[in-house]
Amino acid sequence: MERKTARNFFIWGTAVCTAIFIWLTIDTHTTIPKRTNTDKLTDEVVRGKRVWHKYNCNDCHTILGIGGYYSPDMTKVYSSRGENWLRIFLKNPESTDPQRRKMPNQKLSGDEIKNLITFFKWVDAIDTNEWPPKPITVAKVTGAPLEETAQILKGKNVYNQNRCDLCHRIGGQGGVIGPDLSHIGTKRDTKWLSNLIINPKSINPMTQMPAYPQLSEDEVQALASFLGGLK
Amino acid sequence: MVFESQKVASKYFVISAVFFGLQVVVGLLLILKYIWPDPLIGIIPFNTARAIHTNLLVVWMIFGFMGGTYYIVPEESGTELYSKKLANLQFWLLLIGGLVGVVGFLFGWTAGRPLLELPVELKWAIVVVALIFIFNVFMTMIRTKKWTAIQGMLLGGIVMLAVMWLFGIPFFKNLTLDYYYWWWVIHLWVEGAWELIAASLMAFVLLKITGVERQVIEKWLYVEVALVLITGIIGTGHHYYWIGTPGYWLWWGGIFSALEPVPIVLMVFDTLNHVRHKKLEITNRLVLYWTVGCALFHFFGAAVMGMLHTLPQVNRWTHGTQVTASHGHLAFFGAYAMLILTVIYYALPALKGLKQFNQRKGFWVFWITVSMMLTLGLAFGVAGVIQSYMQRGLGIDFLTVQGFMKPWFIAVFIAGLGFFIGVILFIIDVLQIAMKKE
Ligand code: HEM
Ligand SMILES: [Fe+2]
Repeated sequence: MERKTARNFFIWGTAVCTAIFIWLTIDTHTTIPKRTNTDKLTDEVVRGKRVWHKYNCNDCHTILGIGGYYSPDMTKVYSSRGENWLRIFLKNPESTDPQRRKMPNQKLSGDEIKNLITFFKWVDAIDTNEWPPKPITVAKVTGAPLEETAQILKGKNVYNQNRCDLCHRIGGQGGVIGPDLSHIGTKRDTKWLSNLIINPKSINPMTQMPAYPQLSEDEVQALASFLGGLK
Repeated sequence: MVFESQKVASKYFVISAVFFGLQVVVGLLLILKYIWPDPLIGIIPFNTARAIHTNLLVVWMIFGFMGGTYYIVPEESGTELYSKKLANLQFWLLLIGGLVGVVGFLFGWTAGRPLLELPVELKWAIVVVALIFIFNVFMTMIRTKKWTAIQGMLLGGIVMLAVMWLFGIPFFKNLTLDYYYWWWVIHLWVEGAWELIAASLMAFVLLKITGVERQVIEKWLYVEVALVLITGIIGTGHHYYWIGTPGYWLWWGGIFSALEPVPIVLMVFDTLNHVRHKKLEITNRLVLYWTVGCALFHFFGAAVMGMLHTLPQVNRWTHGTQVTASHGHLAFFGAYAMLILTVIYYALPALKGLKQFNQRKGFWVFWITVSMMLTLGLAFGVAGVIQSYMQRGLGIDFLTVQGFMKPWFIAVFIAGLGFFIGVILFIIDVLQIAMKKE
């Protein structure tokens, strides 16, 4: 091959590929409104995005899988944690466990938290071609052996449905905002537990745990029996 | 060295080496935060340290590229630099800009976008520096009697580098579009503009040390750069699988980026070929080691490690894990850090008019940094595979999985310490050569 042939190959190859790339870019733009729901991209979402940038969250956390790998991905945080949990967490993210990787308290204002959550909500709905993928198999959680009466089973359901695990851990599974409940039955009885669930502030006025007025009396009882049985 | 004005390159090389050292110090700090609870969380939290680590990387590499360019352009063009004054001015502006950026990060002055954290004011300041640089290079080149491919590619590379940078400046309301254009900077730099610059600098060094005919070297330069751009531009699509962009990118990105290793393989063959058919006795054996080492490590870090996770079927599981960190470290080191060290070990002694210089330290730097970065990158890789499997595959909680990865983070730390020793030696070596009397 001559040097001149090589040069023409360079010029034409680059030009054609650049043209294709620009064409794909234009086409991509036309799909963005639908794929990212730009009709829901409100000012509040944009303000939330600015908060995200202001505190440089993205250099610890990934979002859409891009950013720092130090902390969990934020793409689906809205649907996996829920608003309530996010509000509490963002107000005070510092874990009580000294061994655990900490997120520093950013001292966000109430407005900033609200905007961030709206931003996460918008991000959650982006069509990401199903990323992150669903796990192939879900690892089994081996909690403490339970004597599974109907009452306890029901309590377990209540626990799962209300996502108590977002803050609490049982047998190593769950969040770190609240105390570990793996052996809570050795310390507290069902009476104490049901009081706490109905009105957490009656036991500790400073607690971050929200009340669950939506639970029926039955459900509270079931939940308390389930927890009381964790020894 | 042939022209007096080539000497402006030395201070670029010195700062490049020093910032390299600082980058590594901050890197060690980062990995410690993965291993132990962080006592510095209130002063320099992970995100701030990461911004400093990556921006120092970019800055020292830009210093290296600019130094290399100022060394090469007069010699290629057969004339003194258009303006030594501008070259000096531009040096100080970039140095001050870089330092202000780093100090700003410590005080929370940030645009908050990964790798593009510099605040918008500083981003524009960098544009000014780039314009001065391009102007100076261009004005020198047009005095040339005969345009060479090395000149053309080099100029093309720096212009492309500057143009892509512009896409990193605006604020985007839509996160998907934000990342769409974010990659025009990040990907089209490392798999585009920087490859052009690196390939031209390498072609120059090969031309000088092997004495192979310019015709042959430049022909291969054209072919390689053509293939880099043909595969790399559309290859940007390997970052558009999961960010909200259409599914056809899985095809475009997957196929074109899977071809990106082709030019890199070619570079290995053609480097070895030129060395085999050398017309000159290679006296600077250290530069020969760096040149060949660079070609091989570029191949391993960018082509092999890039290829491993570039197909969507794999990337789906590894995206956003330490697998990316593994590839990032190996590719940057092999393709660009080693290239700049090659250029420095070639140009700096030449600037001092040294026919012979003591290369013992340089060989230590070579073996230490190469072996330690290999270890470091592979340790990140194992951590990444564990993470992909447990977190993505089994759906285990993020922080729980980080616990399982800890031994490999410790390995990264130890290799990082070793690497740091190599870099210290390098800095000492550069300072000693730079301060030698001619
Ligand atoms: C010298 C060349 C290269 C350098 C310096 C380099 C560097 C990097 C860096 C730093 C990242 C991470 C960016 C981030 O998310 O923060 C990255 C991502 C990536 N690189 Fe490269 N790269 C190079 C070449 C290649 C090649 C040739 C391929 C493919 C064959 C490749 C495939 C990838 C892929 C697939 C990702 C995305 C990983 C993910 O987020 O899922 N790279 N590269
Ligand atoms: Fe890329």
